[in-house]
Amino acid sequence: MPPPPSTPARPGHVIVRSPDDGAEIDLRSPAVAALLAWLVPGLGHLYQGRTAKGGLFMGALLAILVAGLWLGEGRVVYASWRPGEARLAFLGQAGVGALAIPALAQAWRLGNAAHETFLGSTWLAPPLHAGQYVTPRYADRVERAEPDLPDGGFVDSPPLAVCTFDQLSLWHQRLGRFFEIGTLYTALAGMLNLLVVYDALSGPLGDRREDGEDPAP
Amino acid sequence: MTPVAACLALCPLLAMLPGGFPGVVLGLPLLIVASLVFAATHHEAPEAIARATIHWIVWLGGILGAVLVFVTVLGWFA
Repeated sequence: MPPPPSTPARPGHVIVRSPDDGAEIDLRSPAVAALLAWLVPGLGHLYQGRTAKGGLFMGALLAILVAGLWLGEGRVVYASWRPGEARLAFLGQAGVGALAIPALAQAWRLGNAAHETFLGSTWLAPPLHAGQYVTPRYADRVERAEPDLPDGGFVDSPPLAVCTFDQLSLWHQRLGRFFEIGTLYTALAGMLNLLVVYDALSGPLGDRREDGEDPAP
Repeated sequence: MTPVAACLALCPLLAMLPGGFPGVVLGLPLLIVASLVFAATHHEAPEAIARATIHWIVWLGGILGAVLVFVTVLGWFA
């Protein structure tokens, strides 16, 4: 509930006016709200006590996010900056921190000397390419996760294994257009969430009154 | 039938849905969600959000529909 117009702003709180009826909206700490909104759509608004909008954003954006992941069998969100295979859609998907942070962590860990993702999980991991070295544990996980993996997908090269196929091609072959549709759903959810972050940070259109200033007439 | 059993029974049906849907139908949820989020980030009152959502669905749907018709007509001559 926004405070009534006569209520002074609490220290550290930022108050803005609704563009619809001029009612005051308490944004609490906008930076914290924006961070929460980036992590999970709608969470920043729930923190601010704007529960209706928070629920709306959470329901709408998580719905298309989950739908996109379902259509793309969970393969469509990953970070990759390999030359020629840079994942530009991730720039949009990164608008949701709960996906962006683990995807970045998976890509960083698979690409460095560890040669496998966190806990060996294939979740949000970038696709393997021919000639890439991975740990035997990660190779085993990929073999179990890919139903149409060709025989001899990995060649032993102790203490590692060498990938002999292009995993991204397998995904495109299996999912067809749903890879692109899932990518579109998740990227659009991320981009729309940037609007939500802005709304948590600054409120909807209206005049801002910082703490200590006189309310607008 | 319990709700859980009903959901499980629907899973194979849901899994078949995308294959039978034309691509344009899969764009409709995006159109609705984009309009809803755009409206809700510009207004605070629920009535105003609802009005703006319909406004944006009509505008976005109209523009995208016109592009779709244009591309379809072009496809006939290709």
